[in-house]
This record gives sequence, C-alpha cells and structure tokens, in this order.
Amino acid sequence: MTMTTTTALATQLYQVFIRSTPEAIWEAITTPEFTEKYFHGSRIEITSTRRRSLGPDGAVRGDSPVVEFDPPRKLVHGWRSLYDPELAEEEPSRVTWEIEPLDGGYCKLTVTHDQLEGAPKTAESVYGEGWMTVISSLKTLLETGKGLKA
Amino acid sequence: MTDDDRVFRALADPTRRFLLDLLYAREGRTLTELESELEMTRFGVMKHLRVLEEAGLVVTRRSGREKLHFLNPVPIRLIHDRWIDKYRERRVSALAELKTQLEETA
Repeated sequence: MTMTTTTALATQLYQVFIRSTPEAIWEAITTPEFTEKYFHGSRIEITSTRRRSLGPDGAVRGDSPVVEFDPPRKLVHGWRSLYDPELAEEEPSRVTWEIEPLDGGYCKLTVTHDQLEGAPKTAESVYGEGWMTVISSLKTLLETGKGLKA
Repeated sequence: MTDDDRVFRALADPTRRFLLDLLYAREGRTLTELESELEMTRFGVMKHLRVLEEAGLVVTRRSGREKLHFLNPVPIRLIHDRWIDKYRERRVSALAELKTQLEETA
C-alpha cells in the first residue's frame, strides 16, 4: 500500500481521558504553578483576555489573546511560538482546550491546534512530541500528583 | 476491556492501521474520502472506523454537514510510555551494566 506523505498538520487534534474533575483540569491549564510542571517548564498566566507564557529564565515564550474563556469547560487562545525567532515570524494559529466530564470520575480533554496554514514550521515543531509530551505529562500530574518534566 | 486492550485490538488489523496512516498523511477526512482509498464497502470502512473511535485513536468533528475524521496520537503515546520505554530502559541499563562489569574485570 503506497500513499502520499505530505503531512499538512494544519489541524492537530489530541484527546485524552483523565481521572480528574473539570475544575482540577481547568486549574492545571490556567495556573502557572501547575503549567511549569508539565508544559516544558513554562509558567503560563491566563486571564479572560490574554495568555502569557514565560520560560524558567523569564523569557516570553508566548503572548496571545484569549478568544473564549468559559471555565471549566472551554478555553480558546491564539498561538505564536515566540520561543524561536524563526517560528515567531509565522502567522498566528489557534489552540482550543475542551473539557468534558464523563461517568466514573473521568474527563475527556481535547486539545485542538488549528489555523496552522500560515505557520507550517510551527505546525511541524509542535506536532507529536511537543503536544503529546504536554498532554501525557498533564494526565500524569493530575492522576498521580507528579509531573514528568520539571 | 481496558483502554490498552481497545488500542491493541484496534491496531491488530491491517485495514485499521492503513486508515490511521491515511489520517496521519492528511487529517480531517470524510468517510467518502477514506472509502475511496480502500477496496471495501462503505459499511466495512464504517465498522473499522468505529473500532478506532472506541479506542480513542480516531476522533470525529462536524464541519457544516460533513463529519471529519482526525487521528488522535495520544493513546499510542501512552502505550509507548507504558510498554516500550520501560523495556528499552531495562535493556539499555542491562547492557550498560554488562559493559561496566566487563571493563572492570578486563
């Protein structure tokens, strides 16, 4: 079976089941003390209008508008990869976090990174390892209290 | 069935692995698009997609009147962390130990 290998990656979707409450997941996504434990060490501050991400050295890794702020269900914010000059030049994209409570003390967390048509290098950079490390580490943190990445 | 069981079961079929490869190559495809790549009835493709959805490997989204299929790579990553990383580390550390022992006795 042969196929074309042109990976577009303009819409990326990641979904995971987490044994936790919507409130705890929301807090983990929006509180810098939590994000630094699973989001590549970034301290991420989120208000209803702005998302700012700072590296451990205080460098600005992200600074984008929050488009939708609906705790503890949905968060939509812009994305520009300010941590890399080459990626920062690309057009902004969009990240959507959706938390859906399920039976049995679980939640379904869906992270969609889309509108990446004008940011192919960013798309390549965050695909797979980037988001998956964040999401699997977030799951571990919430379920065991331990982050994978300090 | 546990989550892991569902993922392993879903991956145990070549058609389903091919569907995942198709979605890896280009995400957000309709059933009609996926069906055109396979010599199989629409119903057959739907059945395979349902198994993939139940395992969390495929997630669907509505876009207007269309239902788009996306690959969700997270379950594979979790399997990898649980079943592959562990054994690879063991093996690597066993080899490292052997090297140390051989070098010490040399």
